[in-house]
Amino acid sequence: MPPTTHHPLDPSLPHSNSIEPDNDDIAALNIPGSSSSLSSSNIYKHLRTPSTSSLNIRHPIDLRAITYDGAVDENLVCPICRCPLVDPVLTECDHIFCRSCIDDALSNTKLCPIDRSPLDSDGVGRAPKMVHNQLDSLKAKCPRCTSSFARSMLENHLEKYCLEANVKCPGIHSERYCKEVVKRRMSGRGCLHYPVDCPDCKETLLLVEMEEHREDSCNEKLKACEHCGVDILRCKESEHHKECPDIIRPCKWVEYGCQHEAKRKDLHLHTDDCNFKLVGPMADTLKKEISILRSDMRSLAETNHLQERRIKFLESGQRASDRPMELMDLSLANLPESANTEPLDSGHEYLLSLLESQQSRLSQLSNELADFQGKNTMMLLNETIPIKNELSELRSTQQVTCMHVRWLMRFRMQENQRRFGGSPGPGPSGSPDGGSGSDLPFSRRLSDSAPRDIITKL
Amino acid sequence: MFATKRLGKELAKIHGSLPPGITLVTAEGFQEWLLDIKVLDENPIYLNQTYRLKFKFSQSYPIGIIYVFLALTLNPIQPPEVTFVNTTDRPIPIHPHIYSNGIICLDLLGTQGWSPVQNVESICMSLQSMLTGNTKNERPEGDAQFVASNRRRPRDIDFYYHDNTV
Repeated sequence: MPPTTHHPLDPSLPHSNSIEPDNDDIAALNIPGSSSSLSSSNIYKHLRTPSTSSLNIRHPIDLRAITYDGAVDENLVCPICRCPLVDPVLTECDHIFCRSCIDDALSNTKLCPIDRSPLDSDGVGRAPKMVHNQLDSLKAKCPRCTSSFARSMLENHLEKYCLEANVKCPGIHSERYCKEVVKRRMSGRGCLHYPVDCPDCKETLLLVEMEEHREDSCNEKLKACEHCGVDILRCKESEHHKECPDIIRPCKWVEYGCQHEAKRKDLHLHTDDCNFKLVGPMADTLKKEISILRSDMRSLAETNHLQERRIKFLESGQRASDRPMELMDLSLANLPESANTEPLDSGHEYLLSLLESQQSRLSQLSNELADFQGKNTMMLLNETIPIKNELSELRSTQQVTCMHVRWLMRFRMQENQRRFGGSPGPGPSGSPDGGSGSDLPFSRRLSDSAPRDIITKL
Repeated sequence: MFATKRLGKELAKIHGSLPPGITLVTAEGFQEWLLDIKVLDENPIYLNQTYRLKFKFSQSYPIGIIYVFLALTLNPIQPPEVTFVNTTDRPIPIHPHIYSNGIICLDLLGTQGWSPVQNVESICMSLQSMLTGNTKNERPEGDAQFVASNRRRPRDIDFYYHDNTV
């Protein structure tokens, strides 16, 4: 149990200024097996709340010290440092090196290391973007949790996600203003930088190191299991007891009365001799049956209750239907009366029945409404159909008349042409103004004779 | 640091595969390695012989940096110091550019001829081909005098690279 009051940290403690070396040397740190329990799938399970994201620490990585997945293409390896290129540059003679490598080499001799052509730092320029992209997408292992990421994503992973990477202690926000760092997977438990005594060796150390201490460096970390004698970790004792072969366990039929107890590894010898070996399985099945029956009974009781209520409702409904409708509506006024006359359990059930009757009336009303709507639509249709018919009749008559007018116009124009065909003037089509002005009498006569022509034509 | 990383990479590669005729004997730490080389063709001078090479690496391998220690100026120490070693069954090969104390006169191993892209494997192969191409069964001129008088480290010797025929 953590103490309720935190002790101020002693600045002379060896761990109180561990931030600096940790940040500088993170990539060179090797943590063998520290993350064997971590798989890549649960890396992101650790949800970050806004308050924890401010605890992130930048982790600069030495890209030459990380382990890459598989063999890296020879063309992406710097010929000087033999590592996948870091900040690649292209020389005038078309060779690619790391910037730091070629700078070092040129500080020694002003020659290209590969073809020995004269070269100085002005003849070195940034390598093509494609090379940078290829290098950025190289998969490399996180130096802390050993899961693989694209090389360019590693720093981001360490800063924001890696459970084995350091973050600032959450205690930095508390009144203690703790300046320690802590692994991200431990950061959810608040500030763990206060001294506690190891329950095994009584050594005093920070709580944050207790887990590792009890599993690893504690002098008293091992104890012989009191049952099987095997050395086990003290902090894992309860886990061990679940599988210890020598621990005394009761017979599996203990709940039916078997008194036998034996070591776990010997229990199987007892199973054949157990007096309960026949009764036990039977009792088991019976127990199962009984529980099934119980649940059946419970559900039946529920349905029964429901049906009783329905019956009561129907009875009350029948009685109410004898009365005039007006009385039904006075629900609250009816309540004491019906409660006296009807054998209803409570006002609650009465209200329920009332609700049901209202519901049935509502559905009746909605049915009627639908009927009425249907009738209305039919009536409307009946009225509009004759009107529509008449309209179409009128339309056809109008079209016929239009046709006649056009025919007559053409007829008259032909007449005009025949009359003024020889005389000079407007062409056969003629100007409409001149034609209509001079031919007015003809057109009138023609229109008089039109009905006769139409009749003959038709 | 730099030298260690680079040599670590080279060692990993050497443990993986080496060209024919070259075998790693010891690589204890990153200061001194021993390798054996054989001449692969039928050159009668070197037939059925194995020669032992000693590589000594500086802290700044493969790139030289001038270190100043208490006014003692060490030379730029970029190339490894490569010499043949004489043991009971590993003689010093007879070659006009190899002195009988094992010192090799090869521009590749000098300050001027060295390039950081060279590595242990490429040096071994260069020496292999140097032996393969040789037809003169003789020591360099003034071998006895040089061996008797030389107190310098091999890389400090100013060889005069005059003979490109062998």
